[in-house]
Amino acid sequence: MDYALQVLYVDLSARTARQARLDTEISQRYLGGRGIAAYFLSRNATISALDPQAPLIFAAGALTGSRLPAAGRMIVAAISPLTDTLCSCSVGGTLARELRRAGIDMIMITGRSQSELVLRIEDGAVTFEESTCAASAGLEDIFSGFKGFKGAVAAVGRAAFQGCLYANIMVDSTFSSGRGGLGRVMAAKNLRALAVKGRSRTHVCDSQAEELSRTDIMRLFDAAPAIMGRSGIRNYGTGALVDLIAARRMMPTANFRRTYFEDSRAFCAARIKQSMEPGSYACHGCPIACKKKGLHEIPEYETLSHFGALNENSDLAAIIEANRICNSAGMDTITTAATIACLAEIRAERYTGAALVEKVAGIAEGTDELLPLGSARLAHAMGKPWTSMSVKALEMPAYDPRGAYGMALAYATSTRGACHLRAYPISHEILRKPVATDRFTFAGKARIIKIAEDLNAVVDSIGACKFAFLGASLEEYAKGFAAVTGLAYDTQDLMRIGDHIYTLERWINTQRGFSVKDDSLPERFFTEEGSSGAGIEIRPIDRAAFDEALQRYYRIRACGPDGAPTKRRREELGL
Amino acid sequence: MMDQVQKYHAKLIRQGLVDTQGAVELYGLDDEIYSNRDGVPEAVSALFGRLNINSLIIARPNPVQWAIIQELSRINQTLICPCDCESLTFIHDIPLVAHLEPSAVAQALNRRKGCIVKDVGIVTTGSVSLEQAFISLSSICFATFVKFFVDCLNGLTGFGARPEARSLDMLSSVMDTCRPLEGVNTLSRVVPKSEDAILESLDQTGKIVVDRRLVDSFFGNISYRDAGIIYISQTGSSLDELPGHIDRVPLDGSSTCELTASSELLAHVRVYEHTGDKAILHGHPRFSVIMSMHGKPLSFDEKRFVADVPVVAGEVGAGRHGLVHTLPAAMEQTHAAIVHGHGTFASSPGTVSEAFDALSAIEHLCYERYQSLMTKYA
Repeated sequence: MDYALQVLYVDLSARTARQARLDTEISQRYLGGRGIAAYFLSRNATISALDPQAPLIFAAGALTGSRLPAAGRMIVAAISPLTDTLCSCSVGGTLARELRRAGIDMIMITGRSQSELVLRIEDGAVTFEESTCAASAGLEDIFSGFKGFKGAVAAVGRAAFQGCLYANIMVDSTFSSGRGGLGRVMAAKNLRALAVKGRSRTHVCDSQAEELSRTDIMRLFDAAPAIMGRSGIRNYGTGALVDLIAARRMMPTANFRRTYFEDSRAFCAARIKQSMEPGSYACHGCPIACKKKGLHEIPEYETLSHFGALNENSDLAAIIEANRICNSAGMDTITTAATIACLAEIRAERYTGAALVEKVAGIAEGTDELLPLGSARLAHAMGKPWTSMSVKALEMPAYDPRGAYGMALAYATSTRGACHLRAYPISHEILRKPVATDRFTFAGKARIIKIAEDLNAVVDSIGACKFAFLGASLEEYAKGFAAVTGLAYDTQDLMRIGDHIYTLERWINTQRGFSVKDDSLPERFFTEEGSSGAGIEIRPIDRAAFDEALQRYYRIRACGPDGAPTKRRREELGL
Repeated sequence: MMDQVQKYHAKLIRQGLVDTQGAVELYGLDDEIYSNRDGVPEAVSALFGRLNINSLIIARPNPVQWAIIQELSRINQTLICPCDCESLTFIHDIPLVAHLEPSAVAQALNRRKGCIVKDVGIVTTGSVSLEQAFISLSSICFATFVKFFVDCLNGLTGFGARPEARSLDMLSSVMDTCRPLEGVNTLSRVVPKSEDAILESLDQTGKIVVDRRLVDSFFGNISYRDAGIIYISQTGSSLDELPGHIDRVPLDGSSTCELTASSELLAHVRVYEHTGDKAILHGHPRFSVIMSMHGKPLSFDEKRFVADVPVVAGEVGAGRHGLVHTLPAAMEQTHAAIVHGHGTFASSPGTVSEAFDALSAIEHLCYERYQSLMTKYA
């Protein structure tokens, strides 16, 4: 099977675009999405995030356009201006589908335009159009400007142009590139929007086998309570996690000083459903439809919890408004909320209700100087670096690591900073999938995390959604992958590719100066207790046990005690 | 890691999946391999080297089970395709491998969670914990047992290819040993009056269901309804390890803590609505599953009976073809029903003990029915 990715190379300085077929061997080794993005980022691994020549990559997953469920996602990747690590974000919506329809698997954007641009790819033609967006325009207005356009649009908002280091890229007006400030990279290139429309259909090598895989996967979705159950994310969205995480006493509260928020019911999914009666919408080809929208966009679990518990705020209307402002200006809600919570701790204040909304608006409007830089820089500038609840300068999501030790290790080893999605141990430590593990032990977790990181590197490369894996497994998707692409890869072939991708990402970070000293957690988690209660004890994490698990992880990952991939391993992988 | 090795070693023996200490090898890998054996054979090291896994079990099942697997292997040569609903959903098919040769076994395990190695036993893996390997092993035993008995029965009664004489000889030689376990129900028949008493009754019933082998690996679930709350076993929980694994679910859906509850929660809710009962027990008694599959495949809106017990179609969960749409109405009169190729649900207005009695009685009835059909047609 001739599997070769089509790459569109765009130079914004010269305003040129060139499409080329990538070498078959490279294409097969990295699949697409996150894998191929890591490959291209590794070719200039030490470049500064905002250097005009630093690449910004949009890469469709290998299964995009197929009939496999929940497999229409893509990756946006660059060096992060917030963390200085490699950063790749899985994004939903329809952009991946349109890219594939346009006959493109990946766009690599370099250079910097003299003036603000819209890059348009339509029916095989690439055009560079001057942007007419007002500097202060909200993303909703920017997307309205594309109203008659039948393709997909990715755009950045005013936060990105004002220098917010956690500005994101929005796709189809509601799907975001989430973390790490990739929107800032796009704005630094003076690129306001990317609009893509294509016509061709995705070629599927074996439609019959594709259908069999689809059926197997759908049956497993139906059998998964976390997906299709009465309280599953299909019904409630990820907000379904609010009650559960609160009950497990691991909901980060008051900038992680506590792990239980008494008022979490104020923003729980059942209450939102009852009071707002939201409808559902989905990424392309996804039967789960986890996105919820009523009069306003319903925030995801992380956003609810961080604008809620992390800021000790029980005002649901304020949470929804804070989320709306973030989406309008194009800002990562996790970092926004966590940075405000960090400031609140430093100043010994609380920002709730209108005060919280005011703080968020201050970031969006560019009137605040330090908050747009993220909690690590803010805490450092204010002389209290220990109050930033981040790893490698990326703020922690809404799972307190004292309540799930696999999560603690995964935050530390993630290649983009404190990320819950690189290994997603919540699936087994909390949601009991594929089987339950003891959340209060490091025993066995080093290899579990390593395997899950490899798995999710594959998931992000084929364009699948991580929620799909609360029901199905790579076993089913591997069969689907072979049917769609014609590449006879089985589960373990894909896992080997995942290992390769993750090691490459780690090697990129190593070259950027990251090492064992950065693979840790804020001191608070080793010294302060969480909020024990209801028969659950939330103790500080044992530092020695954590360090031992980390070193075990390094050995399993074929890294030295400093966290760098060993020379032997690099040679084996040809890095 | 060693704790897990010991735990699942003990469970394999206690549940009768393997007969002796020597018949099973368990391996757990973190940065080194932990095992119930001294030393790690070369073939096992090679498998860990080839597979991105952390758990491996190699086990020779108990003699009856192994004889059944060998007979199916003789007939099927390269692949056994299970016919029961849970196996179709979770393990899809079972590859057969000729020798315990690492590259051949790895090739099979690249595709599936477990395989059968001729003259050796069952080999299964996990990437999170040994529990996965244990579940796959148990599921393969269940799937092959059910397939063998269903194929023989349907073949003899005109619903499939007539079994070979050798298969029938084998079947008749093991029939007696497959009789459901007998025993006195020692569970309390007092209606529980407090939360502690409810949890205690669920715990005790879960243990006896496992002891009587009315459930395969961790599958099966149990619940009790009281004062607007359903106390239900969590998804993937072992019925013999329920303390700490019961979710409190408000009937009105006002909390989403039920995310971790059994995948059949909604079916339990609907059964309570239809029957007004207080307790539900769901297990996978083998002959109940086998007898539910006697005859033509059941379409989604069809119903048939084993004696007076209704058999309905329906897949796991709450999807479009989920059993949630068929089971509750079927249980309205009988307070028990078998889901085709899946298992038995029994409910009771009083205690889970009564539901256990019903489940157990149906299994004995199905065994007797099977035996009499074999006598008649063989």
